[in-house]
Amino acid sequence: MTKKQLLKSFIFIVLILWMLVHLTYILRTNGDVKDRYVGFYAEKKNTLDAVFIGSSPLPACIATPKIYADTGITVYPISSNMQRPVATRYLVEEVLKRQNPELLIFEMRMWTARDEDLLGNMAHTREVTDNLKYSLNRIRAINAMVDDKEERLTYYFDIFKYHSNWKTLFLWSQFRTLFYAYPEDLKGHVIETDVGPADKPFVTAQREAIPPEEEEYLLDLLEYIEEKGLNALFVVTPYSATEDEQKKINYMSDLITEHGYPFLDMNGCTDEIGLDFETDIRDYGTHTNILGAEKVTDFFEQYLVDNYRASGKGLISDHRGDSRYSSWDEAFDKWQRDCETARDLVRNNIENGIYYELDAE
Amino acid sequence: MSVTSFYFLCFFALTLIIYYLVPVFTKGRGQWVILLLGSASYYLLAGNGVLILYPVVASLITWGLLKALSATSDENIRTRRLILIAELTALLGVLVVLKYIKLTGTGALMTPLGLSFYTFILLGYFIEVYNGLSEPLSGFLKTSLYGLYFPVMISGPIFKSRDMQQQFFCEHKLCYRNICYGSLRMLWGFFKELVISERLATIVNEIYGNDRNYPGLYIMIATVAFALQLYTNFSGCMDIVIGVSECFGIMLPENFRTPFFAKNISEYWRRWHITLGEWMRENVFYPLLRTGMITSLGKSLKGKFGKKKGKQYTTYVAMFILWLSVGLWHGGEMKYVIGSGLLHWAYIVAGEITLPFFTWLFADKMHIDLKSRGADCFRVVRTFILVCIGDLFFRSDNVPHALRLIGESFSTFNPGILVDGSLLNLGLDVVEWGILLVSLVILAAVSVMQYRIETSAGEGTARSVREYIFSRPVILRWAVIIGLLFYCILLAEYGPGYSAAEFIYKDF
Repeated sequence: MTKKQLLKSFIFIVLILWMLVHLTYILRTNGDVKDRYVGFYAEKKNTLDAVFIGSSPLPACIATPKIYADTGITVYPISSNMQRPVATRYLVEEVLKRQNPELLIFEMRMWTARDEDLLGNMAHTREVTDNLKYSLNRIRAINAMVDDKEERLTYYFDIFKYHSNWKTLFLWSQFRTLFYAYPEDLKGHVIETDVGPADKPFVTAQREAIPPEEEEYLLDLLEYIEEKGLNALFVVTPYSATEDEQKKINYMSDLITEHGYPFLDMNGCTDEIGLDFETDIRDYGTHTNILGAEKVTDFFEQYLVDNYRASGKGLISDHRGDSRYSSWDEAFDKWQRDCETARDLVRNNIENGIYYELDAE
Repeated sequence: MSVTSFYFLCFFALTLIIYYLVPVFTKGRGQWVILLLGSASYYLLAGNGVLILYPVVASLITWGLLKALSATSDENIRTRRLILIAELTALLGVLVVLKYIKLTGTGALMTPLGLSFYTFILLGYFIEVYNGLSEPLSGFLKTSLYGLYFPVMISGPIFKSRDMQQQFFCEHKLCYRNICYGSLRMLWGFFKELVISERLATIVNEIYGNDRNYPGLYIMIATVAFALQLYTNFSGCMDIVIGVSECFGIMLPENFRTPFFAKNISEYWRRWHITLGEWMRENVFYPLLRTGMITSLGKSLKGKFGKKKGKQYTTYVAMFILWLSVGLWHGGEMKYVIGSGLLHWAYIVAGEITLPFFTWLFADKMHIDLKSRGADCFRVVRTFILVCIGDLFFRSDNVPHALRLIGESFSTFNPGILVDGSLLNLGLDVVEWGILLVSLVILAAVSVMQYRIETSAGEGTARSVREYIFSRPVILRWAVIIGLLFYCILLAEYGPGYSAAEFIYKDF
């Protein structure tokens, strides 16, 4: 084999691999989770002040464009449905590759569940692994999240799964993810308009240990962020927590504060937030609709200002007016426009007793 | 470990790297040892474990008996024959016993991978040496490579020692051409198997599995689909294994040459499963014609029917045994004996006997030009239909089932299913049908191209479609290869949600 032939072979293989990687990016199943991850990769390097990592309630209840508009702080959620806690550490590593956030915020409600209870639907794993760009960190995440070594193959090479999505290849919403970086209109936030009244969270001061595997992941995460010297905040966004869940939240609160990190349990602040569980909840307990989102966001951004900016602990920069952050202004404008319609829809639903259908999704 | 699996590709790539690295350290020697180790590893990885002892023992017997044969003088015909009989008894005995066990369903797990293929390769090698057509290999390990060479363990081809000995045991330098040609050949195999065959299987399984719900034209469609499925499955597998072997610098014999362009059944069998046909002709048919039983039968028939007819009828008797053997090779069941054996014998014999009548009818009475393109097309279609009937036996549960299917295919006249959307209820939606038809058109176009190249090859022209592609400018060449690669990646049936069928000839 001559040098010229070797070179040709090398170019051919690189070309094929490049095409394969980007083809897979396009074919990965579309939806708000993919959009959110793709949006994260599209954010300019080192422009996020805080990154939120956690499960599906996040995009619904934290209106990131509003936080920016009100405070000038950029917060972006790396969130997927029923996100397994084991993924958290790898998501932090993924964030740190592109961003240098002053604050990492972790939503903790999934940590009360046993990992095996989250394994029933492989989407809970794939929404993490199959939305990350190809990297060693992605491989490590797969190794940690998928026990069956045979099955891992379809995770490493997710084209095995998604090639059957070829019909979507030329949809703009898919094709635009060719490079796996496309700005997300609302900076990861999702406006929900359904209404599903729910009970308030159970109030208890009792403690109960979280499942051992989750505790192990949590201790590992704490050790990791301590080691890296990262600033972290652990929160529970408001939802209809059961007695059992609330006990575990209390347990985590102790564990985390013992390690020197703050824990914000918004279930204990629902009155302060002004959250009305009759009207502000989307689906009978777990996600807020736009009315709830605005209240939670107001509360949370004030918490950030009071506990970080005002005390000089961080989040000092106000990016409003900075041309590098113009996409955040656009996101807020869009959010405002969309919100008007959304609020009307929610009110209409409430007035007419139109409630969220559990089988709708 | 199916050859269409990701693990096989990894295994192949690793073996290939080691294969070309070894000569760097051994001054060009010992590459065949890598193939032997690779083949043994494949056998074990394919889940055959202890069953590897079957081909190893068969190789040992062959090697030992060939040593004995070498030590026997040519004049000592009786001892040489006894050694030959010992080889035939040992290898064919195991083959027959294991096939019988498998047939009765009592010990399917006892059947080693590639049983028929390694048995025929080793037997063929022994007979070649016996007849002085090939040199005996110098050691047991080299003989074992014949018995274990992993690409052919899946579905053949059945190679001849005299064509392969030099290739197996000489040094092969990393060759750009071999890698490119081999890889493209493999890709074409993946296209046939995973894009076309798997989709055809969906239709075939639906109709044959619920045949009482699908009378008339449905059965005809399923039968044609199965003929195409069998071809794309078997020849696709051949493309992959020949491509794999080509990457090692070892050119295995072709097993298919556009069989559906055959104008009669004899030609079809010179184009379909070529290596089995050649093996059978060389090791069953010709020796059979020389046996005392057939020669005395020939004399008797010549006395009764005259020289020409007598010779012809004697040949038909020998052919009957040949086709019976072909049918039995496919499996002991009568459906195979008929569908892949005796029915084809009947076609050939009937064709020869009726040839004068039809020549008189079409040429003299109807004034049809028998050398015209139209006549050739008619012959091709006729041959295909006859093959389909044989395949119907092959695919059905048993002979009564096959006969019932033939009856049912004519019991209902339902051409409306072609236009009323009924075909969309066979497991493929409109888009899937579209992919299947487009893929079949691609396959047909390439086959026509290959056929034309083969029939008009002259100096300076490409000898294969691959050669033609690789003679094009690099942009065009890469566009074709990348296009085919991504066509397969996107449209092939693999990964979660698909359960790829096994190669149909894997268990023979």
